[in-house]
Amino acid sequence: MLKRIKIEEAVGTKLAHDITEIRPGEFKGPAFQMGHEVCNADICHLQKLGKNHLYLVDLEDDEIHENQAASVLATGLAGQGIVWENKPEEGKIKLYAGLDGLLTVDTASLAAFNMIEEVMCATLHNQTLVAKGQLVAATRAIPLVMKEAPIRRAAGIASQNNGILAVRPLPRIDVGLVITGNEIYHGLIQDKFAPILTEKIDALGSKVAGVAFAPDNVDQICAAIEQHIAAGCQLILTTGGMSVDPDDVTRHAIKKAGADMIYYKAAVLPGAMFLTAYIGDVPILGVPACGLYHRVTVLDLVLPRILAGERITRKQLALMGHGGLCQDCPDCTYPHCPFGKV
Amino acid sequence: MQSFETLLQGSSKAHGHLCPGQVVGVRMAMLGCRLIGLDDPSSPSQIKKLIVYVEMDRCAADAVAHVTGVKLGRRSLKFMDYGIMAATFVNLETDQAFRVLSTEESRDLAEAYVPEIGDPVQRQFMAYKRMPDSVLFRVQQVRVAMSDCDMPGPSNYKTVCSQCGQIVRDGREIIQNGLPVCRPCTEECYFSQAEEIVWDEMNWSPARERLCTQL
Repeated sequence: MLKRIKIEEAVGTKLAHDITEIRPGEFKGPAFQMGHEVCNADICHLQKLGKNHLYLVDLEDDEIHENQAASVLATGLAGQGIVWENKPEEGKIKLYAGLDGLLTVDTASLAAFNMIEEVMCATLHNQTLVAKGQLVAATRAIPLVMKEAPIRRAAGIASQNNGILAVRPLPRIDVGLVITGNEIYHGLIQDKFAPILTEKIDALGSKVAGVAFAPDNVDQICAAIEQHIAAGCQLILTTGGMSVDPDDVTRHAIKKAGADMIYYKAAVLPGAMFLTAYIGDVPILGVPACGLYHRVTVLDLVLPRILAGERITRKQLALMGHGGLCQDCPDCTYPHCPFGKV
Repeated sequence: MQSFETLLQGSSKAHGHLCPGQVVGVRMAMLGCRLIGLDDPSSPSQIKKLIVYVEMDRCAADAVAHVTGVKLGRRSLKFMDYGIMAATFVNLETDQAFRVLSTEESRDLAEAYVPEIGDPVQRQFMAYKRMPDSVLFRVQQVRVAMSDCDMPGPSNYKTVCSQCGQIVRDGREIIQNGLPVCRPCTEECYFSQAEEIVWDEMNWSPARERLCTQL
Protein backbone atom coordinates (compact mmCIF):
# COMPACT_ATOMS: atom_id res chain seq x y z
CA MET A 1 0.00 0.00 0.00
CA LEU A 2 1.21 3.53 -0.78
CA LYS A 3 0.64 6.55 1.45
CA ARG A 4 0.97 9.99 -0.14
CA ILE A 5 2.59 12.74 1.97
CA LYS A 6 3.46 16.36 1.28
CA ILE A 7 7.12 17.02 0.54
CA GLU A 8 7.35 19.43 3.48
CA GLU A 9 6.33 16.58 5.79
CA ALA A 10 8.82 14.11 4.29
CA VAL A 11 11.89 15.03 6.36
CA GLY A 12 13.06 11.94 8.23
CA THR A 13 11.21 9.47 5.96
CA LYS A 14 12.97 7.02 3.66
CA LEU A 15 12.44 7.15 -0.11
CA ALA A 16 10.33 4.27 -1.41
CA HIS A 17 12.02 4.32 -4.81
CA ASP A 18 14.81 5.93 -6.80
CA ILE A 19 14.02 9.43 -7.98
CA THR A 20 15.23 10.08 -11.49
CA GLU A 21 16.82 13.29 -12.66
CA ILE A 22 17.14 14.16 -16.33
CA ARG A 23 19.29 17.05 -17.48
CA PRO A 24 18.96 17.09 -21.28
CA GLY A 25 22.17 16.04 -22.99
CA GLU A 26 24.00 15.90 -19.68
CA PHE A 27 22.66 13.39 -17.18
CA LYS A 28 19.95 10.77 -16.67
CA GLY A 29 19.98 8.70 -13.52
CA PRO A 30 18.84 8.50 -9.93
CA ALA A 31 19.24 11.84 -8.12
CA PHE A 32 18.15 10.08 -4.93
CA GLN A 33 18.23 6.38 -4.31
CA MET A 34 15.62 4.21 -2.67
CA GLY A 35 16.13 4.14 1.10
CA HIS A 36 17.66 7.62 1.22
CA GLU A 37 16.52 9.47 4.35
CA VAL A 38 15.07 12.81 3.34
CA CYS A 39 16.65 15.82 5.09
CA ASN A 40 15.86 19.53 5.00
CA ALA A 41 18.52 20.18 2.35
CA ASP A 42 16.83 17.74 -0.05
CA ILE A 43 13.45 19.46 -0.14
CA CYS A 44 14.44 22.18 -2.61
CA HIS A 45 16.16 19.67 -4.93
CA LEU A 46 13.11 17.41 -4.86
CA GLN A 47 10.83 20.33 -5.65
CA LYS A 48 13.04 21.25 -8.61
CA LEU A 49 12.47 17.69 -9.83
CA GLY A 50 8.73 18.33 -9.72
CA LYS A 51 8.11 16.42 -6.51
CA ASN A 52 5.57 18.03 -4.25
CA HIS A 53 4.51 14.73 -2.69
CA LEU A 54 6.27 11.49 -1.81
CA TYR A 55 5.02 7.97 -1.24
CA LEU A 56 5.55 5.99 1.92
CA VAL A 57 5.46 2.25 1.30
CA ASP A 58 3.70 -0.09 3.68
CA LEU A 59 3.61 -3.48 1.95
CA GLU A 60 0.66 -5.80 2.54
CA ASP A 61 1.37 -9.53 2.78
CA ASP A 62 0.35 -10.12 -0.85
CA GLU A 63 2.22 -7.11 -2.28
CA ILE A 64 5.70 -6.69 -3.67
CA HIS A 65 7.97 -3.68 -4.28
CA GLU A 66 9.18 -2.92 -7.81
CA ASN A 67 12.79 -3.78 -7.01
CA GLN A 68 11.91 -7.17 -5.53
CA ALA A 69 9.62 -7.74 -8.50
CA ALA A 70 12.39 -6.94 -10.97
CA SER A 71 14.60 -9.57 -9.31
CA VAL A 72 11.85 -12.17 -9.52
CA LEU A 73 11.33 -11.37 -13.20
CA ALA A 74 15.04 -11.46 -14.07
CA THR A 75 15.40 -14.82 -12.34
CA GLY A 76 12.64 -16.22 -14.53
CA LEU A 77 13.87 -14.65 -17.76
CA ALA A 78 17.54 -15.62 -17.54
CA GLY A 79 18.39 -18.94 -19.09
CA GLN A 80 21.72 -20.50 -19.96
CA GLY A 81 24.46 -18.00 -20.75
CA ILE A 82 22.64 -14.95 -19.33
CA VAL A 83 24.03 -12.99 -16.38
CA TRP A 84 22.59 -10.13 -14.33
CA GLU A 85 23.27 -8.34 -11.08
CA ASN A 86 20.66 -8.15 -8.38
CA LYS A 87 20.98 -4.37 -8.19
CA PRO A 88 17.79 -2.92 -9.64
CA GLU A 89 18.07 0.69 -10.74
CA GLU A 90 14.83 2.63 -10.87
CA GLY A 91 13.03 -0.72 -10.75
CA LYS A 92 14.89 -2.03 -13.77
CA ILE A 93 17.35 -4.90 -14.20
CA LYS A 94 19.57 -5.34 -17.23
CA LEU A 95 20.53 -8.78 -18.51
CA TYR A 96 23.81 -9.46 -20.28
CA ALA A 97 25.43 -12.18 -22.37
CA GLY A 98 27.61 -14.30 -20.12
CA LEU A 99 29.57 -15.62 -23.09
CA ASP A 100 30.12 -15.16 -26.82
CA GLY A 101 27.42 -16.92 -28.78
CA LEU A 102 23.96 -16.82 -30.30
CA LEU A 103 21.17 -15.13 -28.39
CA THR A 104 17.92 -17.05 -28.47
CA VAL A 105 14.65 -15.47 -27.44
CA ASP A 106 11.49 -17.52 -26.94
CA THR A 107 9.39 -14.91 -28.73
CA ALA A 108 6.02 -16.52 -27.99
CA SER A 109 6.73 -16.67 -24.27
CA LEU A 110 8.12 -13.12 -24.40
CA ALA A 111 4.85 -11.93 -25.93
CA ALA A 112 2.90 -13.80 -23.24
CA PHE A 113 5.13 -12.27 -20.54
CA ASN A 114 4.60 -8.76 -21.90
CA MET A 115 0.83 -9.26 -22.01
CA ILE A 116 0.84 -9.17 -18.21
CA GLU A 117 -0.03 -5.64 -17.25
CA GLU A 118 2.49 -5.07 -14.47
CA VAL A 119 5.68 -6.17 -16.26
CA MET A 120 7.80 -5.58 -19.34
CA CYS A 121 10.88 -7.01 -20.97
CA ALA A 122 12.63 -5.69 -24.08
CA THR A 123 15.27 -7.77 -25.85
CA LEU A 124 17.53 -7.83 -28.86
CA HIS A 125 16.21 -9.84 -31.80
CA ASN A 126 16.11 -13.60 -31.58
CA GLN A 127 19.13 -15.28 -33.23
CA THR A 128 21.48 -12.31 -32.79
CA LEU A 129 25.20 -12.99 -32.45
CA VAL A 130 26.34 -11.44 -29.18
CA ALA A 131 29.62 -10.96 -27.35
CA LYS A 132 30.27 -11.67 -23.70
CA GLY A 133 29.14 -8.71 -21.60
CA GLN A 134 26.78 -7.32 -24.24
CA LEU A 135 23.41 -6.00 -23.06
CA VAL A 136 20.74 -8.34 -24.44
CA ALA A 137 17.59 -7.46 -22.49
CA ALA A 138 16.12 -5.39 -19.69
CA THR A 139 13.07 -5.93 -17.53
CA ARG A 140 11.10 -3.92 -15.06
CA ALA A 141 7.92 -3.96 -13.05
CA ILE A 142 5.72 -0.99 -13.92
CA PRO A 143 3.98 0.02 -10.65
CA LEU A 144 5.95 0.98 -7.57
CA VAL A 145 4.00 -1.53 -5.50
CA MET A 146 1.85 -4.32 -6.88
CA LYS A 147 0.22 -7.63 -6.06
CA GLU A 148 2.77 -10.44 -6.00
CA ALA A 149 0.64 -13.04 -7.86
CA PRO A 150 0.90 -11.49 -11.36
CA ILE A 151 4.65 -11.10 -10.89
CA ARG A 152 4.98 -14.78 -9.96
CA ARG A 153 2.84 -15.76 -12.95
CA ALA A 154 4.98 -13.62 -15.26
CA ALA A 155 8.13 -15.22 -13.84
CA GLY A 156 6.53 -18.63 -14.35
CA ILE A 157 5.85 -17.86 -18.01
CA ALA A 158 9.40 -16.52 -18.35
CA SER A 159 11.03 -19.58 -16.84
CA GLN A 160 9.31 -22.21 -18.94
CA ASN A 161 11.70 -23.96 -21.33
CA ASN A 162 14.56 -22.86 -19.03
CA GLY A 163 14.12 -19.13 -19.51
CA ILE A 164 13.00 -16.86 -22.32
CA LEU A 165 16.58 -15.71 -22.92
CA ALA A 166 19.67 -17.81 -23.51
CA VAL A 167 23.05 -17.47 -25.15
CA ARG A 168 24.20 -20.64 -26.81
CA PRO A 169 27.93 -21.01 -27.38
CA LEU A 170 29.25 -21.71 -30.86
CA PRO A 171 31.62 -24.63 -30.40
CA ARG A 172 34.72 -24.86 -32.55
CA ILE A 173 34.05 -27.59 -35.11
CA ASP A 174 35.72 -28.96 -38.22
CA VAL A 175 34.03 -27.91 -41.46
CA GLY A 176 34.54 -29.57 -44.85
CA LEU A 177 34.15 -27.60 -48.09
CA VAL A 178 33.20 -29.21 -51.40
CA ILE A 179 33.73 -26.78 -54.30
CA THR A 180 31.92 -28.10 -57.38
CA GLY A 181 31.93 -27.07 -61.04
CA ASN A 182 33.69 -28.28 -64.16
CA GLU A 183 35.04 -24.80 -64.82
CA ILE A 184 36.91 -24.74 -61.52
CA TYR A 185 37.85 -28.42 -61.39
CA HIS A 186 39.44 -28.22 -64.85
CA GLY A 187 41.18 -24.93 -64.05
CA LEU A 188 39.25 -22.71 -66.51
CA ILE A 189 38.59 -20.20 -63.75
CA GLN A 190 39.95 -19.69 -60.26
CA ASP A 191 37.80 -20.63 -57.26
CA LYS A 192 36.64 -17.65 -55.20
CA PHE A 193 34.26 -19.55 -52.95
CA ALA A 194 36.71 -21.25 -50.57
CA PRO A 195 38.28 -18.00 -49.28
CA ILE A 196 34.85 -16.40 -48.74
CA LEU A 197 33.48 -19.39 -46.82
CA THR A 198 36.67 -19.84 -44.84
CA GLU A 199 36.49 -16.24 -43.65
CA LYS A 200 32.87 -16.66 -42.52
CA ILE A 201 33.66 -19.92 -40.69
CA ASP A 202 36.76 -18.45 -39.02
CA ALA A 203 34.73 -15.46 -37.84
CA LEU A 204 32.34 -17.80 -36.05
CA GLY A 205 35.18 -19.62 -34.29
CA SER A 206 35.25 -22.85 -36.31
CA LYS A 207 37.82 -24.01 -38.83
CA VAL A 208 37.90 -25.38 -42.34
CA ALA A 209 39.44 -28.82 -41.99
CA GLY A 210 39.55 -29.62 -45.70
CA VAL A 211 38.66 -28.29 -49.13
CA ALA A 212 37.72 -30.77 -51.87
CA PHE A 213 37.17 -29.91 -55.53
CA ALA A 214 34.83 -31.92 -57.76
CA PRO A 215 33.43 -31.59 -61.29
CA ASP A 216 29.70 -31.58 -62.00
CA ASN A 217 29.55 -35.30 -61.46
CA VAL A 218 27.25 -36.97 -58.97
CA ASP A 219 29.66 -39.75 -57.98
CA GLN A 220 32.66 -37.46 -57.48
CA ILE A 221 30.75 -34.89 -55.43
CA CYS A 222 29.24 -37.73 -53.39
CA ALA A 223 32.70 -39.20 -52.79
CA ALA A 224 34.04 -35.81 -51.63
CA ILE A 225 31.20 -35.47 -49.12
CA GLU A 226 31.78 -39.00 -47.84
CA GLN A 227 35.49 -38.33 -47.42
CA HIS A 228 34.83 -35.24 -45.32
CA ILE A 229 32.42 -37.18 -43.09
CA ALA A 230 34.96 -40.04 -42.76
CA ALA A 231 37.58 -37.46 -41.75
CA GLY A 232 35.33 -36.28 -38.89
CA CYS A 233 33.90 -33.08 -40.31
CA GLN A 234 30.82 -32.02 -38.35
CA LEU A 235 29.50 -29.68 -41.03
CA ILE A 236 29.86 -29.70 -44.82
CA LEU A 237 29.35 -26.79 -47.17
CA THR A 238 29.00 -27.40 -50.89
CA THR A 239 29.14 -24.69 -53.50
CA GLY A 240 27.92 -24.59 -57.08
CA GLY A 241 25.49 -26.82 -58.92
CA MET A 242 22.51 -25.58 -56.90
CA SER A 243 20.49 -24.08 -59.76
CA VAL A 244 18.06 -25.68 -62.21
CA ASP A 245 20.41 -26.29 -65.15
CA PRO A 246 20.93 -29.87 -66.31
CA ASP A 247 24.57 -29.63 -65.23
CA ASP A 248 23.57 -28.70 -61.69
CA VAL A 249 23.82 -32.06 -59.95
CA THR A 250 25.07 -31.18 -56.47
CA ARG A 251 21.75 -31.85 -54.75
CA HIS A 252 21.55 -35.26 -56.43
CA ALA A 253 25.02 -36.02 -55.08
CA ILE A 254 24.00 -34.93 -51.58
CA LYS A 255 21.04 -37.31 -51.77
CA LYS A 256 23.26 -40.12 -53.02
CA ALA A 257 25.64 -39.52 -50.10
CA GLY A 258 22.83 -40.54 -47.78
CA ALA A 259 20.98 -37.32 -46.90
CA ASP A 260 17.51 -38.14 -45.69
CA MET A 261 16.04 -34.71 -44.89
CA ILE A 262 16.60 -32.39 -47.84
CA TYR A 263 15.09 -28.91 -48.01
CA TYR A 264 15.90 -27.22 -51.31
CA LYS A 265 14.55 -23.75 -50.75
CA ALA A 266 14.81 -20.90 -48.29
CA ALA A 267 12.42 -17.94 -48.03
CA VAL A 268 15.37 -15.55 -48.21
CA LEU A 269 16.83 -13.35 -50.92
CA PRO A 270 19.66 -13.68 -51.67
CA GLY A 271 19.66 -17.42 -51.16
CA ALA A 272 16.36 -18.83 -52.42
CA MET A 273 18.10 -21.92 -53.86
CA PHE A 274 19.85 -22.73 -50.62
CA LEU A 275 19.85 -26.40 -49.69
CA THR A 276 19.78 -27.82 -46.20
CA ALA A 277 20.23 -31.55 -45.62
CA TYR A 278 21.41 -33.94 -42.96
CA ILE A 279 23.44 -37.12 -43.19
CA GLY A 280 22.88 -38.52 -39.73
CA ASP A 281 23.67 -35.56 -37.48
CA VAL A 282 26.00 -33.87 -39.97
CA PRO A 283 24.41 -30.84 -41.65
CA ILE A 284 25.09 -30.36 -45.36
CA LEU A 285 24.55 -26.82 -46.60
CA GLY A 286 24.36 -26.21 -50.33
CA VAL A 287 25.42 -22.61 -50.98
CA PRO A 288 24.06 -21.14 -54.22
CA ALA A 289 26.11 -18.90 -56.49
CA CYS A 290 24.75 -15.71 -54.87
CA GLY A 291 27.22 -16.39 -52.07
CA LEU A 292 29.99 -15.28 -54.41
CA TYR A 293 28.49 -11.89 -55.14
CA HIS A 294 26.58 -10.76 -52.07
CA ARG A 295 28.39 -9.98 -48.83
CA VAL A 296 25.47 -11.41 -46.87
CA THR A 297 23.12 -14.22 -47.86
CA VAL A 298 20.92 -16.85 -46.27
CA LEU A 299 24.12 -18.67 -45.25
CA ASP A 300 24.92 -15.91 -42.75
CA LEU A 301 21.51 -16.41 -41.14
CA VAL A 302 21.68 -20.19 -40.99
CA LEU A 303 25.35 -20.84 -40.18
CA PRO A 304 25.36 -19.45 -36.59
CA ARG A 305 22.20 -21.37 -35.78
CA ILE A 306 23.66 -24.61 -37.14
CA LEU A 307 26.86 -24.07 -35.14
CA ALA A 308 24.79 -23.39 -32.02
CA GLY A 309 23.27 -26.82 -32.40
CA GLU A 310 19.90 -26.00 -33.93
CA ARG A 311 18.48 -28.46 -36.42
CA ILE A 312 17.16 -26.43 -39.35
CA THR A 313 14.00 -27.73 -40.99
CA ARG A 314 11.44 -26.59 -43.54
CA LYS A 315 9.61 -24.63 -40.83
CA GLN A 316 12.60 -22.48 -39.85
CA LEU A 317 13.47 -21.84 -43.50
CA ALA A 318 9.87 -20.79 -44.19
CA LEU A 319 9.64 -18.47 -41.18
CA MET A 320 12.72 -16.59 -42.40
CA GLY A 321 10.57 -15.08 -45.17
CA HIS A 322 9.44 -12.20 -42.97
CA GLY A 323 12.53 -10.00 -42.87
CA GLY A 324 14.34 -12.25 -45.30
CA LEU A 325 14.65 -9.69 -48.09
CA CYS A 326 18.06 -8.02 -48.37
CA GLN A 327 17.82 -4.48 -49.73
CA ASP A 328 21.28 -4.77 -51.27
CA CYS A 329 22.37 -1.40 -49.89
CA PRO A 330 25.48 0.17 -51.47
CA ASP A 331 26.99 0.44 -47.98
CA CYS A 332 26.02 -2.80 -46.28
CA THR A 333 25.50 -2.41 -42.52
CA TYR A 334 24.49 -5.99 -41.73
CA PRO A 335 23.92 -7.13 -38.96
CA HIS A 336 22.67 -3.63 -38.04
CA CYS A 337 19.77 -3.79 -40.49
CA PRO A 338 16.41 -5.56 -40.75
CA PHE A 339 17.75 -8.46 -42.86
CA GLY A 340 17.09 -11.78 -41.18
CA LYS A 341 15.52 -10.30 -38.06
CA VAL A 342 12.71 -12.53 -36.87
CA MET B 1 -7.16 -38.49 -14.99
CA GLN B 2 -7.28 -39.60 -18.61
CA SER B 3 -4.87 -38.04 -21.10
CA PHE B 4 -5.65 -34.63 -22.56
CA GLU B 5 -6.16 -36.03 -26.05
CA THR B 6 -8.55 -38.74 -24.81
CA LEU B 7 -10.56 -36.19 -22.86
CA LEU B 8 -10.64 -33.80 -25.83
CA GLN B 9 -11.86 -36.55 -28.13
CA GLY B 10 -14.64 -37.52 -25.72
CA SER B 11 -15.57 -33.92 -25.09
CA SER B 12 -15.84 -33.01 -28.76
CA LYS B 13 -18.01 -36.08 -29.36
CA ALA B 14 -20.32 -35.14 -26.49
CA HIS B 15 -20.44 -31.49 -27.57
CA GLY B 16 -20.88 -32.15 -31.27
CA HIS B 17 -17.77 -30.59 -32.73
CA LEU B 18 -14.08 -30.01 -32.09
CA CYS B 19 -13.21 -26.36 -31.53
CA PRO B 20 -10.75 -24.09 -29.67
CA GLY B 21 -13.31 -23.70 -26.86
CA GLN B 22 -13.19 -27.45 -26.28
CA VAL B 23 -9.42 -27.27 -25.81
CA VAL B 24 -9.75 -24.43 -23.31
CA GLY B 25 -12.57 -26.18 -21.44
CA VAL B 26 -10.79 -29.52 -21.20
CA ARG B 27 -7.60 -27.84 -19.96
CA MET B 28 -9.53 -25.61 -17.55
CA ALA B 29 -11.17 -28.68 -16.01
CA MET B 30 -7.90 -30.63 -15.82
CA LEU B 31 -6.23 -27.71 -14.04
CA GLY B 32 -9.18 -27.08 -11.72
CA CYS B 33 -9.36 -30.72 -10.66
CA ARG B 34 -5.61 -30.85 -10.11
CA LEU B 35 -5.77 -27.76 -7.90
CA ILE B 36 -8.45 -29.25 -5.64
CA GLY B 37 -6.71 -32.62 -5.50
CA LEU B 38 -9.08 -34.75 -7.59
CA ASP B 39 -7.35 -36.95 -10.15
CA ASP B 40 -10.39 -38.89 -11.37
CA PRO B 41 -13.36 -36.61 -10.76
CA SER B 42 -16.03 -38.69 -12.47
CA SER B 43 -15.15 -41.85 -10.54
CA PRO B 44 -17.69 -43.05 -7.93
CA SER B 45 -15.27 -42.25 -5.12
CA GLN B 46 -14.76 -38.61 -6.20
CA ILE B 47 -17.90 -37.52 -8.04
CA LYS B 48 -19.72 -36.53 -4.83
CA LYS B 49 -16.82 -34.39 -3.64
CA LEU B 50 -17.01 -32.00 -6.55
CA ILE B 51 -19.12 -28.96 -7.40
CA VAL B 52 -18.29 -26.83 -10.45
CA TYR B 53 -19.62 -23.34 -11.13
CA VAL B 54 -19.38 -22.37 -14.80
CA GLU B 55 -19.72 -18.70 -15.71
CA MET B 56 -20.44 -19.09 -19.43
CA ASP B 57 -22.77 -21.12 -21.63
CA ARG B 58 -20.25 -21.62 -24.42
CA CYS B 59 -18.37 -24.60 -25.86
CA ALA B 60 -15.94 -24.60 -22.95
CA ALA B 61 -18.78 -25.19 -20.47
CA ASP B 62 -19.65 -28.52 -22.09
CA ALA B 63 -15.97 -29.51 -22.03
CA VAL B 64 -15.72 -28.72 -18.32
CA ALA B 65 -18.83 -30.80 -17.65
CA HIS B 66 -17.51 -33.69 -19.73
CA VAL B 67 -14.11 -33.85 -18.04
CA THR B 68 -15.43 -33.49 -14.51
CA GLY B 69 -18.64 -35.51 -14.92
CA VAL B 70 -20.66 -32.81 -13.17
CA LYS B 71 -24.28 -32.46 -14.22
CA LEU B 72 -26.95 -29.81 -13.85
CA GLY B 73 -29.52 -32.42 -12.81
CA ARG B 74 -27.25 -33.75 -10.10
CA ARG B 75 -26.74 -30.23 -8.80
CA SER B 76 -22.99 -30.72 -9.11
CA LEU B 77 -22.91 -28.27 -12.05
CA LYS B 78 -23.98 -24.71 -11.30
CA PHE B 79 -24.50 -22.22 -14.12
CA MET B 80 -23.80 -18.62 -13.22
CA ASP B 81 -24.71 -16.44 -16.20
CA TYR B 82 -21.80 -13.99 -15.93
CA GLY B 83 -20.56 -14.12 -19.52
CA ILE B 84 -17.02 -14.79 -18.27
CA MET B 85 -14.82 -17.63 -19.50
CA ALA B 86 -14.24 -19.00 -16.03
CA ALA B 87 -15.17 -21.89 -13.78
CA THR B 88 -14.77 -22.50 -10.09
CA PHE B 89 -13.93 -25.96 -8.81
CA VAL B 90 -15.00 -26.77 -5.25
CA ASN B 91 -13.84 -29.77 -3.25
CA LEU B 92 -16.69 -30.34 -0.77
CA GLU B 93 -14.50 -32.56 1.39
CA THR B 94 -11.70 -30.04 1.93
CA ASP B 95 -13.65 -26.81 1.24
CA GLN B 96 -10.90 -25.80 -1.17
CA ALA B 97 -12.11 -23.77 -4.14
CA PHE B 98 -10.23 -22.33 -7.12
CA ARG B 99 -11.60 -20.08 -9.84
CA VAL B 100 -9.83 -20.65 -13.17
CA LEU B 101 -10.16 -17.82 -15.70
CA SER B 102 -9.27 -18.04 -19.36
CA THR B 103 -6.97 -15.08 -20.11
CA GLU B 104 -8.02 -12.57 -22.75
CA GLU B 105 -4.42 -12.26 -23.93
CA SER B 106 -4.31 -15.92 -24.93
CA ARG B 107 -6.50 -15.04 -27.93
CA ASP B 108 -4.05 -12.36 -29.07
CA LEU B 109 -1.06 -14.62 -28.49
CA ALA B 110 -2.19 -17.38 -30.86
CA GLU B 111 -0.19 -15.88 -33.73
CA ALA B 112 2.97 -15.76 -31.64
CA TYR B 113 2.64 -19.40 -30.62
CA VAL B 114 1.61 -20.76 -34.02
CA PRO B 115 3.09 -18.52 -36.71
CA GLU B 116 3.12 -21.31 -39.29
CA ILE B 117 -0.68 -21.66 -39.55
CA GLY B 118 -2.64 -18.97 -41.38
CA ASP B 119 -6.23 -20.06 -40.73
CA PRO B 120 -7.33 -18.18 -37.59
CA VAL B 121 -9.45 -20.99 -36.12
CA GLN B 122 -6.87 -23.69 -36.74
CA ARG B 123 -4.17 -21.40 -35.37
CA GLN B 124 -6.19 -20.75 -32.22
CA PHE B 125 -6.91 -24.45 -31.82
CA MET B 126 -3.22 -25.37 -32.04
CA ALA B 127 -2.09 -22.40 -29.93
CA TYR B 128 -4.34 -23.42 -27.04
CA LYS B 129 -2.65 -26.81 -27.09
CA ARG B 130 0.85 -25.30 -27.08
CA MET B 131 0.42 -22.58 -24.47
CA PRO B 132 1.35 -23.47 -20.92
CA ASP B 133 -1.31 -23.17 -18.24
CA SER B 134 0.36 -19.98 -16.99
CA VAL B 135 -0.42 -18.24 -20.30
CA LEU B 136 -3.84 -19.75 -20.87
CA PHE B 137 -5.25 -19.18 -17.38
CA ARG B 138 -5.26 -17.05 -14.26
CA VAL B 139 -6.24 -18.72 -11.02
CA GLN B 140 -7.82 -17.31 -7.88
CA GLN B 141 -8.25 -19.12 -4.61
CA VAL B 142 -11.82 -18.30 -3.53
CA ARG B 143 -14.35 -19.07 -0.84
CA VAL B 144 -17.72 -20.34 -1.99
CA ALA B 145 -20.55 -19.94 0.46
CA MET B 146 -22.99 -22.80 -0.14
CA SER B 147 -26.19 -23.28 1.80
CA ASP B 148 -27.89 -26.63 2.37
CA CYS B 149 -30.29 -25.64 -0.36
CA ASP B 150 -27.42 -25.60 -2.90
CA MET B 151 -26.20 -29.11 -2.13
CA PRO B 152 -26.78 -32.24 -4.24
CA GLY B 153 -29.31 -34.76 -2.97
CA PRO B 154 -33.07 -34.72 -2.38
CA SER B 155 -34.87 -31.42 -1.80
CA ASN B 156 -35.06 -30.79 1.91
CA TYR B 157 -37.02 -27.60 1.67
CA LYS B 158 -40.22 -26.79 -0.23
CA THR B 159 -42.67 -23.95 0.06
CA VAL B 160 -45.85 -22.80 -1.66
CA CYS B 161 -46.17 -19.56 -3.62
CA SER B 162 -48.57 -17.31 -1.77
CA GLN B 163 -49.90 -15.92 -5.07
CA CYS B 164 -50.33 -18.91 -7.44
CA GLY B 165 -49.89 -21.99 -5.26
CA GLN B 166 -46.85 -23.29 -7.18
CA ILE B 167 -44.47 -25.50 -5.15
CA VAL B 168 -41.02 -23.91 -5.02
CA ARG B 169 -38.02 -26.06 -4.02
CA ASP B 170 -34.64 -25.37 -2.49
CA GLY B 171 -35.29 -21.89 -1.12
CA ARG B 172 -35.62 -20.29 -4.55
CA GLU B 173 -38.74 -18.32 -3.55
CA ILE B 174 -38.78 -14.53 -3.09
CA ILE B 175 -40.17 -13.08 0.11
CA GLN B 176 -42.57 -10.20 -0.58
CA ASN B 177 -44.37 -8.50 2.30
CA GLY B 178 -43.27 -11.39 4.47
CA LEU B 179 -44.83 -14.03 2.18
CA PRO B 180 -43.13 -16.52 -0.20
CA VAL B 181 -43.65 -15.85 -3.92
CA CYS B 182 -42.37 -17.88 -6.90
CA ARG B 183 -40.26 -15.97 -9.40
CA PRO B 184 -42.82 -16.11 -12.24
CA CYS B 185 -45.13 -14.18 -9.95
CA THR B 186 -42.50 -11.45 -9.56
CA GLU B 187 -40.78 -9.17 -12.04
CA GLU B 188 -37.62 -11.31 -11.80
CA CYS B 189 -38.81 -13.70 -14.49
CA TYR B 190 -37.41 -14.50 -17.91
CA PHE B 191 -40.88 -14.74 -19.60
CA SER B 192 -43.98 -12.59 -19.64
CA GLN B 193 -47.63 -12.65 -20.73
CA ALA B 194 -48.12 -16.29 -19.68
CA GLU B 195 -51.45 -17.68 -20.82
CA GLU B 196 -52.45 -21.31 -20.35
CA ILE B 197 -53.52 -23.16 -23.53
CA VAL B 198 -54.76 -26.54 -24.78
CA TRP B 199 -53.03 -28.35 -27.69
CA ASP B 200 -53.58 -31.10 -30.24
CA GLU B 201 -53.31 -34.73 -29.13
CA MET B 202 -53.06 -33.65 -25.55
CA ASN B 203 -53.87 -37.16 -24.30
CA TRP B 204 -50.74 -38.74 -25.79
CA SER B 205 -48.62 -40.89 -23.47
CA PRO B 206 -45.97 -43.57 -24.14
CA ALA B 207 -48.23 -46.21 -22.59
CA ARG B 208 -51.16 -45.19 -24.80
CA GLU B 209 -48.93 -45.19 -27.89
CA ARG B 210 -47.73 -48.70 -27.08
CA LEU B 211 -51.34 -49.83 -26.62
CA CYS B 212 -52.37 -48.33 -29.95
CA THR B 213 -49.46 -50.06 -31.71
CA GLN B 214 -50.45 -53.44 -30.29
CA LEU B 215 -54.04 -53.01 -31.47
